[in-house]
Amino acid sequence: MSDFQFEEEDFQQTKVTRGTLMRILAQVKPYKWWVAGFLGFVGGVSTLDSIFTYLTKQIIDVGIIPGDRQALTDHIILFGVLYLLIAVMVFGFIYLAGVLGERVRYDMRKQLFNHLQALSFDYFDRTPVGWIMSRVTSDTERIADLVTWGMLDVTWALMNIATATIFMMTINWQLALIVFLIIPVLIVIASWFQKRIIVEYREVRKTNSKITGAYNENIQGVRVSKALGREEKNLSEFSVLTDTMYRRSFRAAWLSALFLPVVQIVGSLGLGAIIWYGGIQVEAGGLTIGGIQAFIGYVTFMLWPIQDLARVYASMQQSVASAERVFSLVDAKPQIVDRRGAVDPGTIQGDIVFDNVDFSYEDDKPVIRGMNLTVKAGETIALVGPTGAGKSTLVNLVCRFYEPTGGRILFNGRDYTQLSLHAIQSRIGIVLQTPHLFSGSIRENIRYGRLDASDAEIEDAAKLAGAHDFIMTLANGYEEPVGEGGVLLSVGQKQLISLARAVLSQPELFIMDEATSSVDTLTEALIQRGMEQLMAGRTSFVIAHRLSTIRRADRILVIDGGRITEQGSHAELLRQRGHYYRLYTQQFRSQRELELEREMEPEPVM
Amino acid sequence: MAAIPITTHEIPTADFKARLSPNRLVGLTRLLGGFGWHYAGANVSLAVGAVAKTATYLLVQHFVDNVLAQPNFGRVLPVIALAFIGLALVEGTFTALSGRLAALTAEGVTLRLRNYLYDHIQRLTFTYHDQTRTGELIQRVTSDVDAVRRFFSEQLIGLGRILLLFTVNFAALAVLNLKLALISIICVPVVGVVSMFFFRRLEKAYERFQEQEAVVSSTLQENLTGVRVVKAFARQSYEREKFDKENFEQFQRGRRLLMMHAYYWPTTDIIVGAQTMAGYLIAGLMVINGEITVGTFLAYVGLLAWMINPIRNLGRLITQLSTGMVSYERVAAVIREDREPITEGMHPAGSARGEIVFDDLSFEYDSTAPVLHNISFRVAPGESIALLGSTGSGKTSLVNLLPRFYEYTSGKLLLDGVDIKELSREYLRQQIGIVEQEPFLFSRTIRENITYGVAREVSDEEVIAAAEAAAIHESIMSFPEGYQTLVGERGVTLSGGQKQRVAIARVLLKNPRILILDDATSSVDMETEADIREALQRLMQNRTTFIIAHRIQSLMNADQILVLKDGRMVQHGTHETLIDQPGIYRQIYDVQARIEDELEKELAGV
Repeated sequence: MSDFQFEEEDFQQTKVTRGTLMRILAQVKPYKWWVAGFLGFVGGVSTLDSIFTYLTKQIIDVGIIPGDRQALTDHIILFGVLYLLIAVMVFGFIYLAGVLGERVRYDMRKQLFNHLQALSFDYFDRTPVGWIMSRVTSDTERIADLVTWGMLDVTWALMNIATATIFMMTINWQLALIVFLIIPVLIVIASWFQKRIIVEYREVRKTNSKITGAYNENIQGVRVSKALGREEKNLSEFSVLTDTMYRRSFRAAWLSALFLPVVQIVGSLGLGAIIWYGGIQVEAGGLTIGGIQAFIGYVTFMLWPIQDLARVYASMQQSVASAERVFSLVDAKPQIVDRRGAVDPGTIQGDIVFDNVDFSYEDDKPVIRGMNLTVKAGETIALVGPTGAGKSTLVNLVCRFYEPTGGRILFNGRDYTQLSLHAIQSRIGIVLQTPHLFSGSIRENIRYGRLDASDAEIEDAAKLAGAHDFIMTLANGYEEPVGEGGVLLSVGQKQLISLARAVLSQPELFIMDEATSSVDTLTEALIQRGMEQLMAGRTSFVIAHRLSTIRRADRILVIDGGRITEQGSHAELLRQRGHYYRLYTQQFRSQRELELEREMEPEPVM
Repeated sequence: MAAIPITTHEIPTADFKARLSPNRLVGLTRLLGGFGWHYAGANVSLAVGAVAKTATYLLVQHFVDNVLAQPNFGRVLPVIALAFIGLALVEGTFTALSGRLAALTAEGVTLRLRNYLYDHIQRLTFTYHDQTRTGELIQRVTSDVDAVRRFFSEQLIGLGRILLLFTVNFAALAVLNLKLALISIICVPVVGVVSMFFFRRLEKAYERFQEQEAVVSSTLQENLTGVRVVKAFARQSYEREKFDKENFEQFQRGRRLLMMHAYYWPTTDIIVGAQTMAGYLIAGLMVINGEITVGTFLAYVGLLAWMINPIRNLGRLITQLSTGMVSYERVAAVIREDREPITEGMHPAGSARGEIVFDDLSFEYDSTAPVLHNISFRVAPGESIALLGSTGSGKTSLVNLLPRFYEYTSGKLLLDGVDIKELSREYLRQQIGIVEQEPFLFSRTIRENITYGVAREVSDEEVIAAAEAAAIHESIMSFPEGYQTLVGERGVTLSGGQKQRVAIARVLLKNPRILILDDATSSVDMETEADIREALQRLMQNRTTFIIAHRIQSLMNADQILVLKDGRMVQHGTHETLIDQPGIYRQIYDVQARIEDELEKELAGV
């Protein structure tokens, strides 16, 4: 299961490049007023924070010490007003930044999903589903965080430092300069810590996914482990992982726990300076008691922004790495696209011709070689041959999921690359070997074949496909949920539904990949009937495993090594006593054996 | 997974089963085990740190009231400054120490818990594993264990921190001026209640958000895995709309979540602000009235902030603590399950001879449905016995009793004359090798899979010899990395026949006295079947062998044949004797002849 496997890329260090940063910023460009809004608010909040400290100083120096009740009350009222203001601004920035973050994530996910719909098969062949999933789910979140909370934190921190600096300079510039000496030290310390903490956490995550993988195998392979008596060795191997995990996470936690106190201790040097030098200034009349209090406040609260900056900088590297992966997906170009001036002729009925077709997935490994074939309109073609011979590839080429790397495929005398993809693919009906259903009801799944179909049409299609009867036996009939990927149904039932789906779409070209796994006799008979309905009068390609299907075909193609080695009707090919003859007799024996033995036993449950 | 070095170090774990408790809090504290003192130390250090912080503000008071008031106080300034730095050092050191001890505790407990659970899972009964879904169990041993870790590393200690800060600062305030102290905590219950109310609701909103996240990702996943269907029906725009609907719903839920934050923080800001305002006003007036000193006012400003602000997070911690407790319960449910006592019972020296006697044996999984009735037969050492019967006839249940995967209910089952219930499972499993129809291979190298069942170091020659005997050596050598090729998603995908031959090599190396071939020859394509049959012949030499099969060909050479129907023996004999009796065996045998007839006819007809 790919969920349990870590991805190396997640743990790579990435340089923060200007290009990527600009591209990340482009994500919020449509919302620049939102950005301006929350930056403005957070800037306001940090300014007010500094003003508070100054106000407290004034309360002491102007109100309390001289004993001026009026001044005290006035300042306190001002204090209250500012508090209300700050509350409004806090609301403002949480709302703006938070909602914008959600919005940016929504936008990016949408953009990625839409792009994925346009990509062609070759992309999905070489890209694991799990990888794509991580891009769309977690990477988008990280980017959205960076452009909202990340930017917000940086602004808050910088504004805080800036305003505190201004106020300290105003109160007593000599003391302010002394205090500033500790800032570079703090920055060095903060970045040192953050860098190491990030490295440790990366290792923790990596080890964690290995541990999950190990648990997964432990559970799925438990029968084998027990049978082989491997418990102790298993545990001893596992303990290597947990040991690494222990050391790494302890180190990460310890570094994090140490970070704050170290910053505070360094900060206390500043505090000491304030007491010592500030005391002298008080004696000389250059500083008030309230001033000392204010300095203590500024220094204490300047430690936070510095930490924040270090944290944001460290996590920024990860976000940029995320962004680069997301952009690589966005930049992937679909290989199969409509040509300039592609047309929809309104139908694709007619002869299908393979004209010296070559195809390879990878450059040096041809899968189809020099294939020539003419299929008359309405003909049923059965494809037989060993696994990996090129049967599925041939069918994929017909559907234009891939295009020939050499030669041409003609629909009704016209190179099919001159047609639009939609013209071809909207007129094809496909039933796959392991039918894919979407979670939802049976009705919704059948309707996938034609979205505007009425309920009656859906039921007619199900009747034609032979699916109606079994559907009616289900508790909720057509409304019965099929479960994620159709897990609640048997393979045979899923096939019947996908047949009904294909019937409903009224395709001009029908493609079927028969299931190899055994389906009970009754369902099998239903599937056969459904197929007949679909194939009648339609050009059809069937990757055939069942004797009845093979016999019924107008023409049988034996495919081996990417070529058509034999072709003809069932009778013709049997008379040749060639490859087909061997395949057929073998198939005949195993299939009949299964059928006859099953007749002796009570019907297994569907 | 790359090769993991075999370790000999002692594996840190503990008997967590003995520490369970029906009370969740008691159970959680008992998890601490040998770390109780560490954790207590973490809390004490936290308290020391909090006291030092509070002392800093008292020092401010002393400094302002006593030092600055004296003439020529310049000389004492360095002492006071050093005292500030000293207090910061104490605070920092103990805060860091607290973090270290908490990390040591949390990580240490988790390490032991992980090792324990891993071992526990592989020693749980088959019945448990039959009834438990992998995903669910994985969730418990990963996410829930991590929640328990956070309970100790962040939440409980975080709660301690809030309470300590409150208590210590309140105590200090009370000493300075009781009336002021009491006035200053008026808002505390309000903030506490609002915070609890808010975070409880937030938790619900967050759950809804997470649920939608799951919907979005499964919609995406279904789209990606069903890409063929989407393209075949040209349903890209339909899919876009479907995804957009779910994606937008998540945006809405995310916005709702953010709105709650946007209301909460400013609201508490206002409450805290009002408290601060009132406090400053009253304290200021008290200074003016001569009730307290200026220094006391300054100390008050600092103490108040540290007392009230943390309360705002109280609700968050309490909500998290309760989810931590739910996670504990889910982990405890796994721990509560009983293990198979693997070493319990006799463990005779050397190998078994391999004589097996079933004497009027019956078996049921649970008391409602008997699976095997009154089975009696004897297999001499080195003999082979075949079990024939339809699905559900009890063949697999019967062989599962031999390694004591399940315990038979009545009658007797003897190995070399000893009741297997007196023999340890470890011993039995060492004597038995199993080859299944769909063998489970681990995602490791092929070599590691072959040597999986043996505890000793195995030479390359031995591995190759086993692979050759299993007729898989050549296939292995055709992979670029030979025996080091990874099996599974991140390596090569082996065909059913190849997997089976790897499993045969695995059993050959293990060299057991008794062999179980569970449907090992069906569903393998014809070409490889001959190979596998030869490999199996080699494997069966000199071993007592149980063969489960569907086809006469696979079992006609067995020394004895047992035909099962609905858990009862209906026929027992050799191929020669059974062929002459009316019954299931002959019926199945006749099928083969009938097929040849049919084939003959069909071929003549063309």
